[in-house]
Amino acid sequence: MDIIVCMKWVPDTSEADLVIDKEGKDIKKDDLDHDMNDWDRFAIEEAVQLKEKLGGKVTVVGVAPEDAEEMLRECLARGADEAFLLWDDAFEGSDGFAVARILVSFIKARPWDLVLTGTLADDDCGGQMGGMLGAMLGVPSATLVSAISVEDGKITFNRELEGGLYEHMEMDLPAVLSVATGLNEPRFVSIRAVRKVASVEIPTLGLGELGLDESLVGVQGSRVQIEQLTMPPEGEGAEMIGGKPEEAAAKLAEILKEKGGIG
Amino acid sequence: MKNVFVLAEHRKQHLRDSTWEAVTAGRTLAKDLGAELTCILLAADTASMAEQLAKECHRVLAVEDPLFETVSSEAFTKALVPLLADKEPYMMVMGNSNAIMDLAPGLSVALDAALATDCFAFEVRDGKPLATRQVYSYKVNALVSFKDAQRIVVTLRGGAFPFVPSGSAAGTVEKVASPISGEKLRKRFLSYREAEKGDVDISTADIIVSLGRGIGDEPDMEMFESLAKAMGGVLACSRPIVDKNLLPKYHQVGTSGVEVKPKVYLALGISGAFQHVGGIKGSPLIMAVNKDARAPIFRVAQYGIVADLNEIVPALEAKIRELKK
Repeated sequence: MDIIVCMKWVPDTSEADLVIDKEGKDIKKDDLDHDMNDWDRFAIEEAVQLKEKLGGKVTVVGVAPEDAEEMLRECLARGADEAFLLWDDAFEGSDGFAVARILVSFIKARPWDLVLTGTLADDDCGGQMGGMLGAMLGVPSATLVSAISVEDGKITFNRELEGGLYEHMEMDLPAVLSVATGLNEPRFVSIRAVRKVASVEIPTLGLGELGLDESLVGVQGSRVQIEQLTMPPEGEGAEMIGGKPEEAAAKLAEILKEKGGIG
Repeated sequence: MKNVFVLAEHRKQHLRDSTWEAVTAGRTLAKDLGAELTCILLAADTASMAEQLAKECHRVLAVEDPLFETVSSEAFTKALVPLLADKEPYMMVMGNSNAIMDLAPGLSVALDAALATDCFAFEVRDGKPLATRQVYSYKVNALVSFKDAQRIVVTLRGGAFPFVPSGSAAGTVEKVASPISGEKLRKRFLSYREAEKGDVDISTADIIVSLGRGIGDEPDMEMFESLAKAMGGVLACSRPIVDKNLLPKYHQVGTSGVEVKPKVYLALGISGAFQHVGGIKGSPLIMAVNKDARAPIFRVAQYGIVADLNEIVPALEAKIRELKK
């Protein structure tokens, strides 16, 4: 089974202090570390596990500038067979829809049975890629997927709903699945595995190689545009307890006792 | 905009809360855009749900088909494309539940529409709608526009548009024949499955010590267990902790996990993404400890400490044991 995994390279914003830039349409990213989108780590692991069971090839692809080569190389170390970077200056400013278009131009040009991706990305929090890819490729798709198994050209899986409820589903291949985090345990990558792929070539494909027109990508090809970023108002918020750890802990313990938090 | 459509979400033949929140948002949008509001109900049996919708919405479009028994993204998309043809310009509003997350992105492509997910506010400028949603770990608000889109799909942040029933719309229900009757789907619902139930039921706990990503990659779980024990509470967590197999799924708090309503909720290293916060709305006292002073959890907590957990937690436990004497 040939699997294409769409990987996203995102700034690590979860614990960083974020600052909005001068134009007010993005945050300052120069000082932020970048990494593989957390959800996508589970997608590449799932692809490699499926390949180990069923044979075939795993291709990883990301729409990102050169820096993201590091992420794709990590995917190779995790067991992917080949990696491609899709980038062109014209891609700058693409929204989810335009990115889906770029990925589709790549996917359509090769044989595949299954496209995997993470359900959500930590930067745009959009949760839209899998569904858009499925619709553009004309195949069924599902999000928040776990417990994947493949048999006779069909794939079965669980789709997560709310409150611990799942839909158990069956789908014809080819298909697009957006995985839920936690569906597998991403493997540990040894230094040896990283060294082994250090010299593998990762081609970059741009507008021409992908057969795309400039009007279909970037800001021009996007359907949604950011007008203004703002930091959410602090609101009433929490009463902050300061001081040394022992002092803060003592204050917290007092409040807990008062409010019935010590049973 | 000529039309605002609200897509009803249901499960097991009942309308879900997300539907009513979408009605709230849809009403305001229709008013501000000078558009007509219509609820669209696709279900295996529409009678009682359509009647409920008609009490709150002047126009209800009801389509019946066994293929709509669950919110099937494939069946819904195939039906909505012909149903909405020639209805533009329109804006389509729906919840951002897990079922809709499966539907909205593909539907927007099939409708040739612009899409914004998980929106929590709208405004209208020069007759055009704009939406506010969150980006970058839900820490930054983004106001987005849709260029000159004639077709727009938006999904709504749960809880952002509270519903107040009016019960007085006396709307009309228009029944339309299913455009996909008898079609074979490539994606088929087989059955519902429940997550494994454990020996701890956090939904009934009075005191909860909850752990998030901020506890680090190699956390000292015994330290946290010991604190929970000293407090007479139970351990719970956010999604990343389950993903790392540090606690079983039945400890997970949030919309995908368990909704809890303890007297005291102590959040340790929890950033406070809305999926998690959605599960603790019923808690009267939320206290949070996090390294990141801008973590969204501090916006919902009553008390907060910015600190390293490895320093605070042992000190807190010692103090609690002292107070219990």
